[in-house]
Amino acid sequence: MRKFVLTLLAVFIAILFLMPLIWMLSTSFKNDFEALAGQMNFIPKKPTLDNYIEGLNGELMNVPIVRWITNSLFVGLAGTGIVLLFSSMASYALARLHDLPLRKVLFSVFVGSMMIPGILTFLPMYMEFNSLGWINTYYALILPYSAGAFGVFLLYQFFSSFPKEIEEAARIDGANKWHIYSRILLPASVSIMVTLGIFTFMSIYNDFVWPLYATTSPEMRTITAGIAMMAQGSYTQAYGKLMSMTVIATLPVMIVFIVGQRSFVKAITQAGVK
Amino acid sequence: MLKSTWQSKLTSSLFVLPYFICFCAFLLFPILYGVYISLHNFELLSENHEFVGLAHYVKIFTPGSYLNQQFFKGLWTTIQFVLYSVPLLVLVGLALAMLVNQLPGRVRGLFRTFYFMPYAISGSVMAVIWLMMFDTNAGFLNTLLAKWGMDPVPWLTGLPWVWVSLVMTTLWWTIGFNMVIFINALNEVPEDYYEAASIDGANAWHKFTSITLPSIRPVMLFILITSTIASFNVYAQPFLLTRGGPGDSTKVLLMNVLDQAFKGKEIGSASAMAILMAILIMIVSVIQYRLAYGRKEGA
Repeated sequence: MRKFVLTLLAVFIAILFLMPLIWMLSTSFKNDFEALAGQMNFIPKKPTLDNYIEGLNGELMNVPIVRWITNSLFVGLAGTGIVLLFSSMASYALARLHDLPLRKVLFSVFVGSMMIPGILTFLPMYMEFNSLGWINTYYALILPYSAGAFGVFLLYQFFSSFPKEIEEAARIDGANKWHIYSRILLPASVSIMVTLGIFTFMSIYNDFVWPLYATTSPEMRTITAGIAMMAQGSYTQAYGKLMSMTVIATLPVMIVFIVGQRSFVKAITQAGVK
Repeated sequence: MLKSTWQSKLTSSLFVLPYFICFCAFLLFPILYGVYISLHNFELLSENHEFVGLAHYVKIFTPGSYLNQQFFKGLWTTIQFVLYSVPLLVLVGLALAMLVNQLPGRVRGLFRTFYFMPYAISGSVMAVIWLMMFDTNAGFLNTLLAKWGMDPVPWLTGLPWVWVSLVMTTLWWTIGFNMVIFINALNEVPEDYYEAASIDGANAWHKFTSITLPSIRPVMLFILITSTIASFNVYAQPFLLTRGGPGDSTKVLLMNVLDQAFKGKEIGSASAMAILMAILIMIVSVIQYRLAYGRKEGA
């Protein structure tokens, strides 16, 4: 009985949580007239695919949605690739290579940097990219994420606990540091790399403040920055059209989230343990 | 110990080098450059950067000046948001975690996913969805209220409703993070504590206050700290939903800093505000860590 009441409560709360997402999906299939009619119909009376078709054709409110989503996917994947490669190399050295100069200092500085609020670097980084002439380029959209220390922190813990014997055996067989990193440690760390990859991809893909300021031309926007721009503009009443865009924007990240949910939760938990 | 040659040290260093370069270029250098900028009259469009020393900082602390107003009004608005949202972020997060943990094992994962889902979407998507939900004339919430014969609510344009809306969307968007951490903490409380308490005849409330709460205290403090920091950094919700309104009532500090930089085109004074804001956030988190640490020792 108690379980039944609690489950009922859980269902009610789940409806509250999912309602805005379902409403977004429902509205995306309505024409603007129906979307603004102020009715509670979850199933559109005249369902239409026009919002999506126009969106993908680039006719929707004259914004290049396909370009935006391509930018987002490219920036997200490239940024994630860089983070995975650079932080795995660094944390391998920090965890396993004891002759690395200033090993402990570097580790403390890197991990300590996670405490630094983003606003401290936001404006000077903008000015830095500005003087390099890199505002409105993919460099500005990708590179800033490479300095994040979460990956170093996460992989350091994993590499530290890797058994020494395997590494020593490989060394006796003549393996050098690069071999040990690329042929032994990397293959052994696939699951934690996937975890870090999902976490990193989602946070880069979802960021909108930096890409909003770091891009100036419509073609260079990411989908999240594009949506933020439209939310400030005069488009805000065209809900049917806007919602088809948010659905398109949310699909990739929702797929990643649902497929990699366990890994994502794991990364968050490990971030919490620090 | 293996004797390490300089070649060996060099190859070890090469592994750290790519990350180290990124770290210096996109974190360390910007921090130092930000301090430099804050000491100059740094305008976005001008090449000439005159050194002004601490003038921007002095102005921020001079009562009545424009910078003083921008900084402290924004700060007060931010603190209001922290005070409204943080208690709920902690308590609702815990309540949801306890609810999920009480559910039958088969559906537990499903409901965790449902509550966690909004956390996966971007701040800008979140805002656009809620702009539609909160719309005064055709929005979902007011349509619902109308069905029940109630008057429309000015969710994004009237006080105190803007605060209700901002806190509501924040809970919806981010509570999943806190819930997941709480679920993990609750699962680590040893089951035999509860069994022993049951034998002693403890009721549910007793078990909660004398077993659950003390066991999860470190995690609770972690959630308190992360929620406070996140709330200090609040931006997406007021920037996109209320645009700081009505008037300036929800214009938070981060909005003022970025407005000063990009609308006012004064990067110098904006950087001074940004640095003070960052220092403040770090002080608050250090104090909270200290409190957490102190209490742990006292327990």
